[in-house]
Amino acid sequence: MSDVLQYAVQGIPTGCVFALLAVGLVLTYKASGVFNLAFAAQAYVSAAVFYVVRKEYSWPLIPAAVLAVGIVGPLLGLLLYRVLFRHLRTANSSAKLIASLGLLVALPEIVKLFFGTGSKSNPPPLWWVDRSDQWLWPEGSRFVLDAAQIATITTAVVMMVGLTVMFRYTALGLRMRAVVESPRMVELNNVNASRVAGGAWVLSSILAGLAGVLLAPLFAALNSLDFFTLLVAALAAAVFARLVSIPLAFLGGVLLGMFQAVLAGTLPTDSILSTGLRPSLPFAVLFLLLLLRPGLAKVRDVTDPLAGVDPPPSLGTSYHATPGFTRAVRVLLVGLTLVGLYLGWSVLSPFWLGLVTTGVVLGVILLSITVMTGLGGMVSLCQPTFAAIGAFTTAQLVTHFGMSVLVAAFAGTLLAGLVGAALALPVMRLDGVYLTLATLAFALMFQSVLVPLSWVSGGVVPLAVPRPVIGPVDLSENRSFFVFVVLCALVVAGIVTAVKRGRAGLFLDALRTSEAASTSLGVDARRSRVTAFGLSAAIAGFGGSLLAMYFAAANFDQSYQFFVGLVWVVLVATMGARSVPAALVAGIVYFLMPELLSRLFEQPTTYAANHSGVLADILGHIEPSWAAGFSFILFGLGAIAYSKHPEGVIETQGVRLASFFARRRETTTAEAAVVEA
Amino acid sequence: MRRNLTTAVVVVFVALLGMSACSNSDKVATTDGGKSATAKGSNSSENVAVDQPGVTDTKIRVGGVASVTNPLGAPAASAFDGVQAYFNMVNDAGGIYGRKLVLASKRDDKLAANDAQTQALLEEDNVFAVLPVATYLFTAAPKLVAAGIPTFGWNISSEWGGTNEEPRANLFGHSGSTQSDVLPILPYTAMETKTHTLGLLSYNGGATKICTDAATNAVDRYGKEAELKLGFADAAIPYGTTDLAVQVTRMKQAGVDIVYPCMDFQGAVTLAKELKKQQLEAVLLMPNSYNPALTTDFSDLFQGDYAFTFFAPFETTPKGKGQKEFESQMEKAGYEVNENSVVGWINAAQFFAGLEAAGPEFTQQKVVDGINKMTDFNADGLSIPIDWTVRHYSTPEFCAGVTKVDGDKFVPAFTEKGKPFICWKSDAESVKDFTNK
Repeated sequence: MSDVLQYAVQGIPTGCVFALLAVGLVLTYKASGVFNLAFAAQAYVSAAVFYVVRKEYSWPLIPAAVLAVGIVGPLLGLLLYRVLFRHLRTANSSAKLIASLGLLVALPEIVKLFFGTGSKSNPPPLWWVDRSDQWLWPEGSRFVLDAAQIATITTAVVMMVGLTVMFRYTALGLRMRAVVESPRMVELNNVNASRVAGGAWVLSSILAGLAGVLLAPLFAALNSLDFFTLLVAALAAAVFARLVSIPLAFLGGVLLGMFQAVLAGTLPTDSILSTGLRPSLPFAVLFLLLLLRPGLAKVRDVTDPLAGVDPPPSLGTSYHATPGFTRAVRVLLVGLTLVGLYLGWSVLSPFWLGLVTTGVVLGVILLSITVMTGLGGMVSLCQPTFAAIGAFTTAQLVTHFGMSVLVAAFAGTLLAGLVGAALALPVMRLDGVYLTLATLAFALMFQSVLVPLSWVSGGVVPLAVPRPVIGPVDLSENRSFFVFVVLCALVVAGIVTAVKRGRAGLFLDALRTSEAASTSLGVDARRSRVTAFGLSAAIAGFGGSLLAMYFAAANFDQSYQFFVGLVWVVLVATMGARSVPAALVAGIVYFLMPELLSRLFEQPTTYAANHSGVLADILGHIEPSWAAGFSFILFGLGAIAYSKHPEGVIETQGVRLASFFARRRETTTAEAAVVEA
Repeated sequence: MRRNLTTAVVVVFVALLGMSACSNSDKVATTDGGKSATAKGSNSSENVAVDQPGVTDTKIRVGGVASVTNPLGAPAASAFDGVQAYFNMVNDAGGIYGRKLVLASKRDDKLAANDAQTQALLEEDNVFAVLPVATYLFTAAPKLVAAGIPTFGWNISSEWGGTNEEPRANLFGHSGSTQSDVLPILPYTAMETKTHTLGLLSYNGGATKICTDAATNAVDRYGKEAELKLGFADAAIPYGTTDLAVQVTRMKQAGVDIVYPCMDFQGAVTLAKELKKQQLEAVLLMPNSYNPALTTDFSDLFQGDYAFTFFAPFETTPKGKGQKEFESQMEKAGYEVNENSVVGWINAAQFFAGLEAAGPEFTQQKVVDGINKMTDFNADGLSIPIDWTVRHYSTPEFCAGVTKVDGDKFVPAFTEKGKPFICWKSDAESVKDFTNK
């Protein structure tokens, strides 16, 4: 048997890991209509429960497995459905995706509150044999499988067959698919759609729990990010199945694992091709599948044919606002900006000033999400990548060409915009989840292929980026730099507002509402979307350059990792994706919240240290280090607010206030009329 | 749309014209400094007037930052315990210059807020020195260099080191601030274990390149003498991989009998599982795996394998003065002994040595200068010897403490009793030209 065949066979166990996760993703999508990236977080929850009861409380295997997979898994699924996804049953796939991203961020941190943040080494297996007594098959041959691999392969195959049969041949499977298409239509046929949808979440959560417990022993220690890393690698297999075919998801996973192994075995290990292609293979395959897989470009969001009975979405603050209210809001915004500038210049300590400055800079980057998601209706997960392109370009031009940092930042902005527009050309053929996945694949390819290259990122030591000097003003002084970034934020906010109110914004609004109707009226969808992509990328690139200036270096690990992009999207969506002030507030909240919570969480510790009694004992368990996790929980749970108010917190409050004043004005006018009469 | 876009382009173009007349600042963002202490005494055993941040009549305040919250679950916060334990020892003996050492501030950089938390240390906490810095990212390095404040920490990132021209002279890593570009311990281990064919595995990425380069340089320089050749190398392993079956198969085909993984503990465990599964008898030499979990949870996978450290392994016998003091103070305070707490202790010992060298009229600059004159700092035998006249930008000597997994414990290897380190000069002609220290 040739070496290539041997490598291919060796890739099957890893392929089955991908297959198991891909089948889970497809199952959730088929049964609930949610592309659930939080599947990884659900897997982590069950794995953590299994770890604690099995290792720390020494439960026997079967009760521990039943609790983790059979009880905690489904209860969690049911909870998620009741609290969150029930409200999104008729929402589009992007809205559901954002909600799942929120869970992905929040769930692991909630688990850590209960189980602690310390390392959970050597997760226990879901089978009886110890590692020291591996079940090797066939022992001594060239193809050796251990117990973990045999369990994974068996589970993946059983799941694939069982779920295929269920969806194809049972009434339950049929109902699940029908509920995803149109819950109202199903209810007209006397089927309890809510119960079916809840059941679908229970089923997918059991599979997530099983995957978590089964795959945990692959890792030296239990860590939520490891599950997500595996899930991201498995995305290509799910897309191979077009998110609907369970057998194809299985096949895609296995093929991916085999292909990866063959490349590892056959490519020269020191070649650029190897170092570039192999780490990015799952993402490159995902990207290519999205672009080339026949039929994906034509897939459009499934909307409920009976969605017309829903109340229309909120018309926004501007609809309800009276001219007086609008003027008052403008005055308030100007006033807040001036107060902010005064506080930053004269009052804030250097530490808080630093946090607010980075918050304002992040606000600039988040305005790119306002353009992309709020105006364009597209969810991009590669905004940190565009920010990194801006930052790296600035750093390289300053370092190697001695260019003025502001000119270099402009070049970085331009390059990011061009890359964004170029990415848009192939990607915008896709819709909803597929478009989002394409941006995620792009971000991951950038991270695994380009970032390690010294001509891109500078290599091991991040490239330095100086602060600018504008005339007599040296911005290396933090207060001057704060004023500078506030001015930059105002300019970018002005540009976004102008685009939003201008023809481009109207076109994008129209496309988001109905592409068919808009194009029939002569709206150039292609041009509008490329503009939105390019502008959004340019804004992110500019913000990335500002961030590098603030930190004095373009440090990818600190500021531009793809995972932060997931948090950013959730945060902006929660605050209000269409609102310009919301993006700026979100940026500041992102940096201030953990620190404010730290200060808050220090109070119980201080109390416990200085007092005795039951209250002191209870408060003594609260750790200040929970603050970071807690802020992520709050950011993530913003998804719940988002599910009920997709227009965002700020816009919702704006509408309430505007309606209140409008009603008051009407009442006053009516009373005046009565008095006059 | 066109009018709005045109307006936007014009605005940006005008701004660009303005920018072209601008230049770059050659300064790093500045800090404000702190408060001063009053005068009291005049000789080295009494209070002497100093006008330094964080110093009062009775106290010298320091503050540190660690990645307390990190997704890896690593006990980085233990570095605070190491510093506190050392300070307890000093303070119990009366302090220094009539003052107690106080770890006044323990900040959590939450992995991604190194810059902000360091800024807070400098601006809000009124500290004389920064220790420990036990963080995964060290983005605040330029700020600390610009501030000139004595800084001590866990030098796992390359920002600690400088160049001959810009040595970053106030940053003091626990094992020197640079990493060696040659790894003589690798051919030496091969020679001692009678292995001849090396498998070199690393993740794809810039940081691991330093590790793989040091290994290949060692093979180039000492391979002939140690009869060690490179059999298989793979520097393109995706981070987070859970399967190294193909790599192990290829190593088996290449006759590899010693493996050096430039990987984290997760990678080492994945590799060891696969080696066992494919029954490839190879010795592992691991740079990042002197981890208690290795012997408590995975000892069956690592029997006979080696790990090296840049501090005296806990299993060293007889223990040196520094090690005894460390262990007794840690036990007294009820702190956990681990790599991070050792690092904290070494950082505190370096700081204390700097204070002593600076004299009773100490200043931040005098502490930095005092340490930078030391040619053989070793925290009373707990740390590898460090020549601070050059260790900000070069590594004239490679030293390591080596342990071997034997049963469910580590045992010292390649060293003499009471001398926990094996050292090579950077210009050593032969791999046998080592000394035990």
